[in-house]
Amino acid sequence: MKKYILIIIILALNLFLISGCAGNEQSAQQSITIAEQYGLAYAPVQLIKELQLLEESNPELKVEWKQLSNTTSIRESMLAGEVNIAFMAIPPFLIAKDKRMDWKIMAGLSESPLGLMTNREDIKSLADFKAEDKIALPQPGSIQHILLSMAAQREFSKPDKFDEQLLTMSHPDAMNALLAGREVAAHFASPPYLFLESREENIKEILSGSEAFGGDFTFIIGVSTEEFYQQQFENYKLFLKALKEAIKFIEQNPAAAAELLADNYDLSQAEMKEYLSWPGMKFTSEIKGLEKFLDFMTAEGYLEENNYQRSELIFEKRAAVGEKKSPETGAVPNDK
Amino acid sequence: MTNKYRQRLLWIIVLALIWQLTAVSGVFSELIFPGLDQIFLALIESFKDGDLIKQIGFSLSIIMQGLFLATAAALILALTAYFSKSAAGLIDTLTALAHPLPGIALMPLILIWFGSGRTAILIVIIHSVLWPLILNLSTGFNSIPDIYTLIAKNYRLSKLEFMYKILIPASLPYFISGLKIAWARSWRALISAEMLFGAINSLGGLGWFIFQKRVFFDLPGVFAGIIVIIVIGVTVEDFIFKKLEANTVKKWGILK
Repeated sequence: MKKYILIIIILALNLFLISGCAGNEQSAQQSITIAEQYGLAYAPVQLIKELQLLEESNPELKVEWKQLSNTTSIRESMLAGEVNIAFMAIPPFLIAKDKRMDWKIMAGLSESPLGLMTNREDIKSLADFKAEDKIALPQPGSIQHILLSMAAQREFSKPDKFDEQLLTMSHPDAMNALLAGREVAAHFASPPYLFLESREENIKEILSGSEAFGGDFTFIIGVSTEEFYQQQFENYKLFLKALKEAIKFIEQNPAAAAELLADNYDLSQAEMKEYLSWPGMKFTSEIKGLEKFLDFMTAEGYLEENNYQRSELIFEKRAAVGEKKSPETGAVPNDK
Repeated sequence: MTNKYRQRLLWIIVLALIWQLTAVSGVFSELIFPGLDQIFLALIESFKDGDLIKQIGFSLSIIMQGLFLATAAALILALTAYFSKSAAGLIDTLTALAHPLPGIALMPLILIWFGSGRTAILIVIIHSVLWPLILNLSTGFNSIPDIYTLIAKNYRLSKLEFMYKILIPASLPYFISGLKIAWARSWRALISAEMLFGAINSLGGLGWFIFQKRVFFDLPGVFAGIIVIIVIGVTVEDFIFKKLEANTVKKWGILK
């Protein structure tokens, strides 16, 4: 009797396993999973979600949104095949690309002001930092870290000057720590934390993102895996179209966008509108500064190779099946 | 003894072979499932740099400190609880409240109260170690056969002599098993604390090493770090604790 029960249990477990696998296969065709992160720079993506732009164009498409806390988790999720499209800064993308991760840039998303904010009276520039003053940023290898290294390289010819003073903290934690005035001397912030911190009396900005970079650059880009591009090109194209629509909407109707998104960001509509039109905040699918990031990161050893073709880094625009080739095919996105 | 180690070695080799075959077969992408050759290369690279050794040293030194402080505190608290009924009530309640709390849940609190320096990590370690140790010690103290306490009364031993000569040696098995649990918990807490708190001094410890590898998308490096953790854990269990047991409780016949 015991033997039979055991056999039945094993069979039942196997059935569960098989049905689980089969389920995955079927839904792979008509579903798209997008990773969302919190931050003003991702506003167009939130718009796609609010306005349901994807479901409008294709009601049969299953759209899933995954909240992941940081870029590293998103990267790992994409590697596991759980996430198809994600948004992040250029350096984390390049670091994984350099380690042979099979993904490419879809389009730019936003340019944004970034800044090194400090709560110490006596720190007025990078030179005033002492060894025990800690700088909080999201993680090593993040765009904030790279920008800091670029500034250190320019001012002191030592790009890793601040590497030993870094504290890995998420933006909300870092902002709290900065306001508390204890452990953290400075925070390389991005919106909306940048804006919130700049409102405080005792906090000032000593280095801006564009100063550190030496120009304009794209803050957030959209990326997708080669697999998704090849196997679900229709859905890829759909998302790209929705993204461009959302970007156009925000740029042209900031008030309407603010109305739709304010709740999402837990801000008042007035604040939301102010932040969306903050100087330096620009939503565009252009990709700026890619070459410069590549050159700097290779020179400093973050990347091993530097001989990437543009086509290896950015998905080329090609027409979907049955679509007429638009005149912009073959045009290369602006750089610098 | 040697038989057991030979068996273990055999199984490790078998598992390693399975791993390598899976990696080479290409069922999973190289990024998700790196081969042993890549992992060992990463390991050797990290050792060559010299940083990894310092990081291991840092992690071990902090754990030793934490374990030492926590053991001392646990001994004092457990002895107090044994000799005084009211103290026992307080300590029991504290233990019951704090024991179920994982150190990670307390981290945001610790971050705000103690910053993110060495103190914070020590506190996380002490918290993970103190409560299981107190529990084990108390159980040990309360489990010594009555005949021992009667003998102590016969000889009119003072409290101090009672502690040294009878109480502590008799409860040594419990103490050692409490220590084993404490070591495992503190080792785990340390690695996760290091990952969350970031580099404490410039290099940080083993947890920070793994975190850096992860952030720079160096999966072989992450596995290399995991191997180091396993090796250290097994070494401590198999060699240090075994030796301790062999020279005390096994020699005295309290444990088989």
